[in-house]
Amino acid sequence: MANDREVLREIWDGKLPVCFQLDQEEIMEIQQPDPFYVMVPRLSYFPLVIDKMKRHFLRYISQENADNEMWMDYNGQPLKWHYPIGFLYDLYCGNDPQTPWTLTVHFSKFPGNILLHCPNKDVVEAHYMSTVKEADVLKHRGQIMSAMQKKDHNQLWLGLQNDKFDQFWAINRRLMESHGDNDGFKHIPIRIYAEDGTCTQRLISPKNIDGSRKIIQQLITELYPEKPVKLRTHGITIPLDTPLQWLSEHLSYPDNFLHICVC
Amino acid sequence: MSSNSLLFSINNEGKVYALPTNGSCWREFMYLGLEFKTLSAVPHFLWAVGGDRQIYLHVHGLEIPIRVKEESYENERWLPLEGFTGRLLPTDRYHFSSQDGTKDRSIDCIRLPSMAWQWEGDWQLELTLDGQPLDHDGWSYAVDFPAQFGPVKQWKSCVRRRKWIRYRKFSAMNSWCAIAPLHKDPTQEPFIDVSIGGNQIPYAAPGALSVWAITAQGRVMYRAGVSTTSPEGLKWINVSIPPNCDIKQISVGPSGLVWALLWSGRAIVRKGISKDCPTGEAWLEVKSPNETKLTVVSVGRNVVWAVSADTRVWFRKGIDGNASGCSEMAAMGNGWLEINGNMVHISVGINDQVFAIGGSNKSVYWRSGINTTELTGKRWRMVQANMQVSRTSSATSIVSSASNQKHQSLSLLNENTLELKSNINLRNSWEESHSAPIENTLPLKPSKELKQKISMNIENMDMTGKSYETTLKNPRAWSPVRSVGSVVGMEAQPDSDSSVFDLDSGMFFDEEVSQTAWGTCDVAWSFVASGACSLDSVQPPHWFSDSQNVHNTDIVAKWRLQILDELKTRNNSLSIDVTKFGIAIEEKGWTRSCESRKVNYNNTSEDCIISLYWHASENTGTMSVFQPDGTIKFIFNLSEVTSITSCSEPGSPRISLTIPTQSSQILKIQFISEMEQEEWLNVLVDIISQIYGLSGRPSDTSVWVVTNSGDVLNWDPAPALLTAEKSAGNYTKEFQLFGKDIQKGYTCMLYNNFPPGSTLKVAGCLFDDINRFHLNLQGPEIVKQRHKIESEVTEIPFHFNVRFEEGAVVCNTKKSGHWGPEERYQLPLIPGQEFTIKILCDTAGFTVTVNDKHFCFFKHRLSPENITSVNISGPLKLFNMEYSSTSIIIGPDEMFWKMIGGYLRKVECCANNIVWGLSHDHRAWVYTGGWGGGPLKGLGSTDGIHTMTDTQTYCIYENQRWNPLSGYTSTGLPTDRYMWSDVTGKYKRTREHTKLLSRHWHWISEWMIDYNTPGGVDSDGWQYATDFPAPYHGKKIFTDCVRRRRWYRKAQINTEGPWIRAGSTALLDLSLWAGNDKDVSVWAVTLGGEVIYKTGVTAATPVGNHWEHINSPQALVAITVCNNIVWVVGRKAELYYRDGITKENPAGTSWRLIEAPKGNIGSSHKSGAGAKMVSLSSTSAWVLLTNGGLAVRTDISPLEPCGKQWKYITDCDVTYKHISCKDQEVWAVRSDGSLHRRLGLTADNVLGVAWQLILNVPCVYVSVRGS
Repeated sequence: MANDREVLREIWDGKLPVCFQLDQEEIMEIQQPDPFYVMVPRLSYFPLVIDKMKRHFLRYISQENADNEMWMDYNGQPLKWHYPIGFLYDLYCGNDPQTPWTLTVHFSKFPGNILLHCPNKDVVEAHYMSTVKEADVLKHRGQIMSAMQKKDHNQLWLGLQNDKFDQFWAINRRLMESHGDNDGFKHIPIRIYAEDGTCTQRLISPKNIDGSRKIIQQLITELYPEKPVKLRTHGITIPLDTPLQWLSEHLSYPDNFLHICVC
Repeated sequence: MSSNSLLFSINNEGKVYALPTNGSCWREFMYLGLEFKTLSAVPHFLWAVGGDRQIYLHVHGLEIPIRVKEESYENERWLPLEGFTGRLLPTDRYHFSSQDGTKDRSIDCIRLPSMAWQWEGDWQLELTLDGQPLDHDGWSYAVDFPAQFGPVKQWKSCVRRRKWIRYRKFSAMNSWCAIAPLHKDPTQEPFIDVSIGGNQIPYAAPGALSVWAITAQGRVMYRAGVSTTSPEGLKWINVSIPPNCDIKQISVGPSGLVWALLWSGRAIVRKGISKDCPTGEAWLEVKSPNETKLTVVSVGRNVVWAVSADTRVWFRKGIDGNASGCSEMAAMGNGWLEINGNMVHISVGINDQVFAIGGSNKSVYWRSGINTTELTGKRWRMVQANMQVSRTSSATSIVSSASNQKHQSLSLLNENTLELKSNINLRNSWEESHSAPIENTLPLKPSKELKQKISMNIENMDMTGKSYETTLKNPRAWSPVRSVGSVVGMEAQPDSDSSVFDLDSGMFFDEEVSQTAWGTCDVAWSFVASGACSLDSVQPPHWFSDSQNVHNTDIVAKWRLQILDELKTRNNSLSIDVTKFGIAIEEKGWTRSCESRKVNYNNTSEDCIISLYWHASENTGTMSVFQPDGTIKFIFNLSEVTSITSCSEPGSPRISLTIPTQSSQILKIQFISEMEQEEWLNVLVDIISQIYGLSGRPSDTSVWVVTNSGDVLNWDPAPALLTAEKSAGNYTKEFQLFGKDIQKGYTCMLYNNFPPGSTLKVAGCLFDDINRFHLNLQGPEIVKQRHKIESEVTEIPFHFNVRFEEGAVVCNTKKSGHWGPEERYQLPLIPGQEFTIKILCDTAGFTVTVNDKHFCFFKHRLSPENITSVNISGPLKLFNMEYSSTSIIIGPDEMFWKMIGGYLRKVECCANNIVWGLSHDHRAWVYTGGWGGGPLKGLGSTDGIHTMTDTQTYCIYENQRWNPLSGYTSTGLPTDRYMWSDVTGKYKRTREHTKLLSRHWHWISEWMIDYNTPGGVDSDGWQYATDFPAPYHGKKIFTDCVRRRRWYRKAQINTEGPWIRAGSTALLDLSLWAGNDKDVSVWAVTLGGEVIYKTGVTAATPVGNHWEHINSPQALVAITVCNNIVWVVGRKAELYYRDGITKENPAGTSWRLIEAPKGNIGSSHKSGAGAKMVSLSSTSAWVLLTNGGLAVRTDISPLEPCGKQWKYITDCDVTYKHISCKDQEVWAVRSDGSLHRRLGLTADNVLGVAWQLILNVPCVYVSVRGS
């Protein structure tokens, strides 16, 4: 059970200061637009938090690009909207924190070979729900999600979209419950990313063979037998003796996955 | 769940240990030099076979002693010349007899059953008859013996009788008590096994138990007469066994079912065990599984578990405890099922939970996942509780000092004469003290000399602040080997070993402190008895290392603190000013809507759509009700809602909202599903509490209410007091006048009356065509039933009438419906003018100011405290009206009743913020300060939220009428009641159609015939009468034309709430009082009608320490306490008060009868009435009468705790069901369930003036006894 409210709240309230700048090539006016500063929730997705920013920049760009899909890059690296914002920051700036995080906004030359298209928020919702379902398959063989009603799914999504902790956790709590007699999850939904952004996803059990709780140290030796690494998520380095089950219950992103960067 | 349930075990050294379900440490029983072989338990009663092969009984965990009332009637007959004499006619009854005269009850022949019992006081006369006082000899008179006895001697009184009563008490609590051996020489036929069960034999009288034992010669013995009031039983009865059967082990289930094992490994079952035949009829043989030899068998309610010699575990399918008495199949089951695991011993406990001892490691295991649908459970979980360092098996034996002196006294029997003498002292002083001495109050302190002698090798192990001493080197238990008759195995000590059993099993027991005296050492167990262990399989105790204990340690784990710390400091390194950053996600309101049905007054309903809009940051919300086509019906602000309650009926989940500002006042909504109803309830309670700014524990000034659906509501005036604006010493309230029709007259309540210091300011504009208008400061409307119901205002202390056509202003007073002499003044106004009128009340009269100029002064003719409302009528328009008063004005439309959570029947509060509750099954609960649980899950934090259960019994009556052809049949006359009905016969009730209220309820029994219906029943449960609305009796006689019998079925609710169990004693009523000092009085009436009070209750320990018991003359039903004055109500509706209660002597000295209130008050209450319940304030007592009326006893003071005279509330003809008062506050629940507050109470006017409707949801209980 994810019952450590203090940690959950801290994770939920995690925010990043972001400075959006319009790409110089896009500017069609004589006057330079001001950069747009905003605090974005680490747990959210970019398409959910950029409405205002988009309105702010629209009047500076060429009208023919106004209906194009907007995208962003950091240091020339296009940002994938389908990852949580906090994870993207940890991936690109984890070792070298940058505040505010300065991103460049583009309205043309959409890098279709790298990014998925995101015409509206429904696409984000569909992607989010499918990730939650995948996580639930790993944790409970998908039983919890399929037992939920449509409106519960809706509440989960709206809770995330509107930054409502209680609304979200009222439902997410059920997804974080262990199966049966406190045995823990069947598998831990975890994605580990190398520095170049390549992702590893393996079936990882929360317990060792002898039934004891698996801790991060054991996970690292399991995955990286050759060299010891550090793991980062939510802007912190995970202590090596943290149990995996606890980590999954408390430090998963809203999509129910642990997104962890190797550093 | 049950706070005091225990799991018992014997280790391989023969020592007995207990593991409480609310703790996590094994506690050793006081070792008395006697090892034990086997144990068997039901709650509070533990039977064992000792190392000397004798049987011992241990009674424990009862908060109040077992008391039995012995009564004897002394009969006398009047003889000429001699007068009344004890010489009776030969056909008469005995001189001393039972009530019906059939048994000889000579007082000197009534003895204590065994040395385990003690008398409480001497024989006493009962001095009341049906609540009527008798003269001091206590005689009651009659024409002849089988006749009605009356209190007065008449010329025709030929016989008289009086009743002697004496109480005896089981004083061997918490100690081993030897049961008499079978023969004079106890070694002749020792015992090898004993088993207790039978606490749920179908239809049996409550309290019945059954005990079976096996002797070394293989005989099976049944202990006759064992019950909760007679724990030792009476005698052994031999039960014959089939030839060639050599029995080695026996087990009795809760339903009385008996299984026994033979030395050959086969099992036999006793068939035909029922409430009438507890020893059964015959033995049946059961085949062993796969020809293996069974070694242990244990019987549960619907299961039998066994282990075989090869340590395999077997489960017997098809057992049905309820039917086991009449069906062989149900008793024997239909097949063995092997369960994984290797065990050497097994024991089935309450709710068929199973405990076992592992074959290899000799640890105790619990079978998890057992519930009614899955009786075999899921897997074995090891019980890993800490172990008390043994006091006897090693050199460093420790005993807590609290028990030490008693412990010493245990050994005194075997010590020299000096000690024996002190022992006698002890006993004498003990007998002088009353029934329940407090722990540690035994007056005797062992002399120093003695102490030295006994504790030779003290190793002072000061571990927890208490000093520990080693035990006696060789204490010897008193073995029955040398005894004759049933005696106590040791000194009769009511609470000899508190180290094993804290009397109150410790909701606030500080386990951490005492943890130091426990260590984790591996123990090899040899025996486990779980019959007293009530384990909540949903929330198992902290016995298992793989469960919650882990989480608890996570909270303080280093890695967790590190994570939390890093998370908190993530953004600290920012070198930028974050204030210029915008917020990415803007606050938005949200809406929620669903299809539902609106329920109207006449219980019809119509489709509607409800929609809720809520904006958190603005703290506003609205609720709209739409018709199915989308047109809006009405819309209201959520801040107008004053209460939200559930009002579901079976199959119809409903919510009721009270909105005083809406015309219909109450909105009832029926939802499609229970889930949806609970979600809406949750959301609405949450939002409206936020709107009112309510969070955290309510203050101790709160009023508590229980609705008839068991919801606990709370109104806390503290936030209103804080926010109320006070200007120039006055509180002001402005009334909403928009849209009010003044032409026809507008009345509004003045909630604080109109005492001196009050003002009323009215501003408005007169119409041009105005003739006259008036402004009345008036008393309550009196509802009179003449030829039709009329209401009239009979008291108008100030009538201000402006008459333009007469050119004058008339002031007057109406007193008892009659106008007095008029006072006339000049006209200050002209038609069409704007005006302000201000009325100021002072001690002498009313000062009226018109348009800021002094106009007139009107002397009081009636007390201004009688004013409850203002009435304005005439062709004019009002702009505003302001009412100000010296005390805060809170109208019912401003009282939000917050649902607290939990399911209860009664809630009592007092100052100091202590709140107790009672559930329907008479268990006591204490409020933890939390909020939520059950349907309100997730609202507050989870702190203080605990599981709650409650049991209710559904009763229906089967009615039959006799006809000459076929006898009694279920075809009645057309005029008869339903053949299946409720108790009144007005409503049809059938077994099949009785449904449970919600999914939180479940049945815990089948429909059963009630053999304990009041009035007596025959062998099939029938009661007979001449016709339906007539007294029923158990024996059929010639004139009986109808009969009925009662069926009952029990249902249980599982929910959560901010309440925790306070002890195990069943309570009927309770009352709390907190004076100025810290101590809080908690007095209660037990289910048996006895008075108890709790010691050591303070704000920090709301549960207190122990119950102290007070002898009472009669069985009582209600109690109230205030300022060291205690009033009680007896079962016969009489009132008593307790004399002599002081701080030093909180128990008082004696009960005194209070003059009964007259019943025939009001016009419709013709029948006489006694008291039903009472609530005391510091100067008066409000008594609810049996006919529903109210009486007030005035002038109560510590010097005169019985008060002076009775006064009656006659101003309205309604009946009440509950009342609560404190100082100047009296609140009552009417029979229709509405909640009312009494207005106009002052020190001089203790009756008050009028009732004010507060809440119109069906309530059952109210408590205003906060400060």
